Amino acid sequence: MMKTKTWAALVGGFLLLSVIAALIVYLRPAPGTVANIYRDGEPLCSVDLSLVTEPYEFTLTDGRGSNVIRAEPGRIAVVDADCPDRICVKSGWHSDSAAPIVCLPHRLVIRIEKNAAAGSEAVPDAVSQ
Amino acid sequence: MKNGTKRLTTDALFTAAALGIFVIELQIPSIGIPGVKLGLANIVTVAAAFLIGPWDAGAVLLCRILLAGMFSGQVMALWYSLAGGALCWLTMLPMRKILTAKQIWVMSVIGAVAHNIGQIAVALIVTRTAAILYYLPVLMISGVLAGLFTGFAAQFSVGRLEPVVRKIFR
Repeated sequence: MMKTKTWAALVGGFLLLSVIAALIVYLRPAPGTVANIYRDGEPLCSVDLSLVTEPYEFTLTDGRGSNVIRAEPGRIAVVDADCPDRICVKSGWHSDSAAPIVCLPHRLVIRIEKNAAAGSEAVPDAVSQ
Repeated sequence: MKNGTKRLTTDALFTAAALGIFVIELQIPSIGIPGVKLGLANIVTVAAAFLIGPWDAGAVLLCRILLAGMFSGQVMALWYSLAGGALCWLTMLPMRKILTAKQIWVMSVIGAVAHNIGQIAVALIVTRTAAILYYLPVLMISGVLAGLFTGFAAQFSVGRLEPVVRKIFR
């Protein structure tokens, strides 16, 4: 039997490593300013946040439901969604984080990257509401 | 455990307790990081592994996950729970033999971390996006902290319930 202190040290060490890893991930800046939106891992559309001057919203809908996405100068967020957990809405604005916005129920991922993903369409202002 | 009726009743009781705790936790709002939650029902799983053995605990876990899927009405969530639950249970099999009564919390921490790894694996398959892994460190932190909390709750429960369970299966 291992001593309780040994277990505590192992758990503490793992926690410390996780905190360091999380800090590295969160403090690492996004490689660019282009928000690429993926569904099922396939590029759907992209927005260059550095080119956004007027805030606008657009809605992405498929069979599973819809997400209302708002682009502002330099940042992007999901402002409304009809998914059950609404975690994508609660994750708030993303501007320079390498961590993506994720809507698991709708299989939607928004990543901020250097270039527009191949095969993605620019989001036209026309779909803004 | 030999007595069929006592065993079935005890397992059903554990399942009911786990399901009740799960439904209460549904009322706690989620935060903006996918997969981060307290996992209070894990208290029952860990306590059950020590009190009624890993096989009955596994049966309780499976029944709780399936019933919870119906109660919450989220079919997709079922797959995340099943993957997380299966991994969590697999870590419990060896852990139960190497932990003393004062180390039950360790099983809960390792189970919670394993559960979160299982969930993120399903999320990777579902979204086909490797960027999901950015959430892995955060999910490890939340797994350890939630696991500590539920683990000590389970440890104290085992201390109180062990004489009762022993009496039932005397």
